[in-house]
Amino acid sequence: MEDVLTENPPPSRFFQEDLNNFASPPPEPLPSPFIVFSNPKPELPLKPSLLIIALSSPSLYIFHTLPSKTLIGTLIIPELPFSGNTVEPSLQDKSCNIYSLSDNNNNNNSVLLVSVQLPVPPERSNLVSRLLVGQDIVPARVIILDSIQSRNFRGRLSPDEALAAKLETSSEKKAAATSRLSLDYFPSGSVIDGLSASLLSRCQLKNIRGTLVVSWPEFDPSVVRFVGALLKSIVPSLDIKSVDKDLEKYSSRTGLKRDAWLDSDLYT
Amino acid sequence: MEFVVEEGKRVHEECSTLILPALSIGNVGQLAVDLLVSSTAAERVGYLDDLNLLPCVGNDAYGPLPCGDLALPLEVYESSSTAITLAQQRSPVAKGMMIKFAENIAEFAASSGKKDVIVLSSLDFQRLHNLDLSRGPQVYYLSNTESDGRDDHCERLGFGRLGEFDSEGRCWKYLSSVFDKNSKEDLTFPSEDELEDIDYYPSLPFAALFSAFKARGLKVTCLLCYCSEGDNIPDAFLLAEAASKLTGLTPDKFHGEEGGKWRIPYSWKSMYGAPPDMSMF
Repeated sequence: MEDVLTENPPPSRFFQEDLNNFASPPPEPLPSPFIVFSNPKPELPLKPSLLIIALSSPSLYIFHTLPSKTLIGTLIIPELPFSGNTVEPSLQDKSCNIYSLSDNNNNNNSVLLVSVQLPVPPERSNLVSRLLVGQDIVPARVIILDSIQSRNFRGRLSPDEALAAKLETSSEKKAAATSRLSLDYFPSGSVIDGLSASLLSRCQLKNIRGTLVVSWPEFDPSVVRFVGALLKSIVPSLDIKSVDKDLEKYSSRTGLKRDAWLDSDLYT
Repeated sequence: MEFVVEEGKRVHEECSTLILPALSIGNVGQLAVDLLVSSTAAERVGYLDDLNLLPCVGNDAYGPLPCGDLALPLEVYESSSTAITLAQQRSPVAKGMMIKFAENIAEFAASSGKKDVIVLSSLDFQRLHNLDLSRGPQVYYLSNTESDGRDDHCERLGFGRLGEFDSEGRCWKYLSSVFDKNSKEDLTFPSEDELEDIDYYPSLPFAALFSAFKARGLKVTCLLCYCSEGDNIPDAFLLAEAASKLTGLTPDKFHGEEGGKWRIPYSWKSMYGAPPDMSMF
C-alpha cells in the first residue's frame, strides 16, 4: 500500500515547486528534438493522407507485427539515451520510428505510422508534437492511439473490463459520419496529458482532422484485438493476420516490455 | 504565445476586461473561472498556444451535456453581453518557466487591447496570521492602483488589502525588474535555497502575473482567498462572486440553474472521482 504522505498527489493538486516562480529553469536549453530520415531524404514536409501514432502497448505491438511497412525515419530526443537499442527495430528499443505503408496504388508515404517507444517528458511533448504534426510532416488526418491514464481518470477502471473512448478535433467532428470512428467520447471531467494530448492539441490548432483513441487495460489481448480491428477499419489494406497468430505470446511479452522501459538503463 | 481564433468565431473588441486564474492551492482560481464561464454562457473564441504550458486535453467541461468539443490547456472565452474575456488554464506551466509564461500572457493581453486584468488565486491557509472569523470568509486583493497595493473600489467592496505585499521586498523587486524592459536594476534570480517565509507570496504564480501585467501598463487586480486542500468548491464560489462584484456584473448577465445566478459546470460532477462501489456492502 502506498504511503499517503509521500505518494504522488492526485493530478489536480500541485507540488510546491509547480507553484514557485523561482523554481530553477533547466540550466541550459536542451537541443531540440529532430527527425532523421533515411536515404534518399524525402522532400519535406511529408504530406501523408493519414498519420497513425502508436503510444499504447497494444498499438505498438500491432505496428511491430505489421509486415508491409518501410522504415523511413526516426525521431531523436537528444537527452534520451538509446543505449541497448538493436540495429533492427525491436519492441524493446527506446525509439520513435517512422514507417510508411504503401497503399493499394503503391503510393509511398500515403499512410505513415509512428511507433513512440520512448518516454517523452511532458515538458518536451510540445516540441515533439510540432515535428510530427505541422513541421516535417503535414498530415491530412491523424489517429493517435494511447492508453487511459488511471491517475487522470475520474471514473472507475476495472482491470478485467476493457473499454475505449475517443476525443476528436473540430475538423474531425465535421467530417462525414461514415469516416469517423464509432466510439463513445472520453467522459468530461477526466483529462489526458502527455504527448498524445499535445498531438491532438496540435491538430486542433492547425485545423487538422485528428482523433485520439484511448483504451484500457494498458496490457490486454482483448485490447490488442480491438485496436487491430480499429486499424483495419481505417486502413482496409492493413495486414493484421500475424497479430492474432502471436497474441498468445503477447501477455508474457507485455510484462517484459513494461519492465524494459523502466529498467533497461541498468543492464546496458 | 500564439492566439488562435476558433474557426467560425470572432473576437469581441469591446471585451476590455480579462479574468484569468493563477495556479494555486486547491485550484480555486481555475474553479472560479469555470463557474464564471458556465454561468455567463461565455463562448469559446480561441486558444492560446504556449510551449511552456504542459499539454492536456479533455471533453467539453461545461455542458449541459458533453458533446465531444475538445478542451485544450489554455482557452479564451468571451461574452459580448458582459464585455469580459475569460481565459481558462487547465494544466501547469513547465517547471522554472512561470516568468516566461507570465510575460507571454501579458503580451497577449496588451496586444489584444485589454485594459483591466483580474487574476484569481488562492493562498495557503497555513500562511494566514490574523484570522478574523467574525467577518466570515474574506476576499483579499492586491492592485497596482496605488504603490502599496491599495485600491478604493476594492476597499468599498469590502475586500481586504493583502498586507503582506511589500513592493520593496527582495522578491517583489526582482519580479518588477524582470518584466520591466526599461529597468536599470540588475537583480539576481532568487535561488530556491535562499527563499524565506516572507518570500511565499511573491513566489506564487499570481505574483508573476501581477508584475507582468503591471509592467505592460495594464490595470491589474488580484483577488485572493485563503484555503486548504480539500473540497474547494465554496472557495471557488467566493472568488467568482468577488470577481462578479468587482466587474459590476448584474444578475441578468448570469444564466444560472433554476433562476439562480450560478450554473455548475458539467465536469464538476466527477471532480472527486467515481462514487464508491456499493457492491462491497
